[in-house]
Amino acid sequence: MAEVLEVEGLKKKYGALEALKGVSFKVEEGEIFGLIGPNGAGKTTTLRIIATLLTPSDGRVIFRGYDLKKNPEKFRKGISYLPEEAGAYRNMKGLDYLRFMAKFYSHDETEANKFVERAVSISGLGERLKDKVGTYSKGMTRKLLLARALMTKPALAILDEPTSGLDVINSLEVREMIKRFTREGVSVLLSSHNMLEVEFLSDRVALIDRGLILDSGTPQSLKEKYQAANLEIVFRSAVQ
Amino acid sequence: MKNFSHLLVKEIKELLNKQLIISLAAMLLIFYFIGSVTRTEMKKAAAKQKIAVLDLDKSEISRNIIGALNMANFIIEEKAGPKEQVVEEIRNSDLDLLVVIPSGFGNTVSRFEAGQVETYSYLRGISISGGRKSEIVRAVLNATNEYLSNDFLKKRAPEINPELLKEPIKNREFVVVREKMAEGSAAAITGSLYAQSFILPIILMMIIIYSAQMVITAIAMEKQDKTLETLLTVPVSREAIVTAKMLAAGLVGLLSAVVYMYGFQNAFSFTNDEVSQAMSGVAPILKELGLTISTQGYLLFGLSLFLSILCALSLATILGVLAEDYRTAQSLSFPLIFLVMIPYFISLFADINTMALPAKILVLIIPFSHPFFAMQNLMFGHLTMLWLGIVYNLVFVLVMLYWAAKIFSTDRVLTMKLRWGKKKVIL
Repeated sequence: MAEVLEVEGLKKKYGALEALKGVSFKVEEGEIFGLIGPNGAGKTTTLRIIATLLTPSDGRVIFRGYDLKKNPEKFRKGISYLPEEAGAYRNMKGLDYLRFMAKFYSHDETEANKFVERAVSISGLGERLKDKVGTYSKGMTRKLLLARALMTKPALAILDEPTSGLDVINSLEVREMIKRFTREGVSVLLSSHNMLEVEFLSDRVALIDRGLILDSGTPQSLKEKYQAANLEIVFRSAVQ
Repeated sequence: MKNFSHLLVKEIKELLNKQLIISLAAMLLIFYFIGSVTRTEMKKAAAKQKIAVLDLDKSEISRNIIGALNMANFIIEEKAGPKEQVVEEIRNSDLDLLVVIPSGFGNTVSRFEAGQVETYSYLRGISISGGRKSEIVRAVLNATNEYLSNDFLKKRAPEINPELLKEPIKNREFVVVREKMAEGSAAAITGSLYAQSFILPIILMMIIIYSAQMVITAIAMEKQDKTLETLLTVPVSREAIVTAKMLAAGLVGLLSAVVYMYGFQNAFSFTNDEVSQAMSGVAPILKELGLTISTQGYLLFGLSLFLSILCALSLATILGVLAEDYRTAQSLSFPLIFLVMIPYFISLFADINTMALPAKILVLIIPFSHPFFAMQNLMFGHLTMLWLGIVYNLVFVLVMLYWAAKIFSTDRVLTMKLRWGKKKVIL
């Protein structure tokens, strides 16, 4: 399988604080790759760098052959990013928000409409899309934003804690949406501190702690390596 | 370009929301209400006023005074009886003014001694018409004094013109502006120029404050609603994001200022009549002195104003990045408002050209100062100062735009915060 993303020796410093100390991993085409680790491990910083929001202090990020430092606009065209605490414009209707975002990625009105139709189908919000975003619950907003992130069939969807702050039912629905609407040419890089969620969704995972990748592989191979029943125990063993 | 116009439309729609439209409409209504009330009061003041007159003298002179009051737009209601009783009677009526001509007034005046009339103004509240009544009475008495004194002088010294006796020195006033000179009163010219231009600083202040507040709020709201991160990852340049925000804020700020000024002018339109009356006499003198603005002058003024707005917008953009939410954005706009107020008040109450050099420099360092003094500089030929202001503002804008674009292109757009508690900026 071809690699869609390659991260090599990624470092990020905030003054004296070294948030990333040389993170390396690869995401292959069509796979769901999970970054798991506790809060403050460096997951969000890694994703923000790949999404072109932060500049790395050192290291290389290559997306479909393009270097992040030289071609950030190529990243923005092919990547869709869902931040952990994202919101949508409260005064816009859900449908208008999707149309607004679709226009950035489309060549013409027809393509933009196709993106919106796909988003409507992904979100499952139906008639509520005609209401203003300000009236949505947290779960509805998250579904809208996830639909926005996936509607353009990006080469790489970056999902930071996609179920963060959601109740059990909404979390399940969001996970099902990710499973159902990726794969068709869409690779996913997701992060979560919920290791069971990552195990359920991901083809391969990387364990990250204190700015370093501790280990990576398929959930099954890691469980076998550490003789653990689930990824939580794998993570504990890897940290020790 | 497609993405830029797409962003611009979104920014304008976000700013021109229901709340803003309602507040602008409310402002227009308030101005309309203030205007109606003030106009009614002015009409009342200008209309024929009913006053009471108690003539205890019944002489020819006292009758002449009552005739003069009649001529001066008063409806006279003559009273009779003891003074204390009439004063009490008026207290309980709707009349607001009583003129008492005491007994023996005519005899005193005929002996060339100072006569005395009494006026009683009944204040039943504070209004323009109430204040004007006693002023008009005073004017009538002045006219009567003038008539009586001229009459006496004619009787005593019939061979001399009484006007010459009272005012042996006449003043012929000339005003000099640069190399030009014209006959006229400096006070009238200054008053006329002030009446024409007093509204300009208000417009300038409103445009700059509105635009700056709009852009700070727009950026802060993106942060508060957690939409900025997503926006920064879409395939559109950071420069386009910054420019769209600034342009939208400038346009909506301009619209708000225009609505505000429309309401303001409508509310106080009665002053226009006074201004045009004053202008009709002074206009030829202003033209003779070169105190009029040419088309080229207006273009220069427009350039100065445009650059000042850009200065405010670029500064506000940087301040907006520091704000984490709407509340902080409001606090951050105070320094800008303060900086606009300084040239505003100076342009109203002082002459920048006669200020001490350090004070002058301090005022002119503020980039918004220059359009406030541009008109004056144009009229009085201080073109070097005007051009220096334009160049200074241009450099200021370029530096600030560079910084704003740089901040938006780096981590700082997400990491730069002003923390009130810790009083420090984290970069």
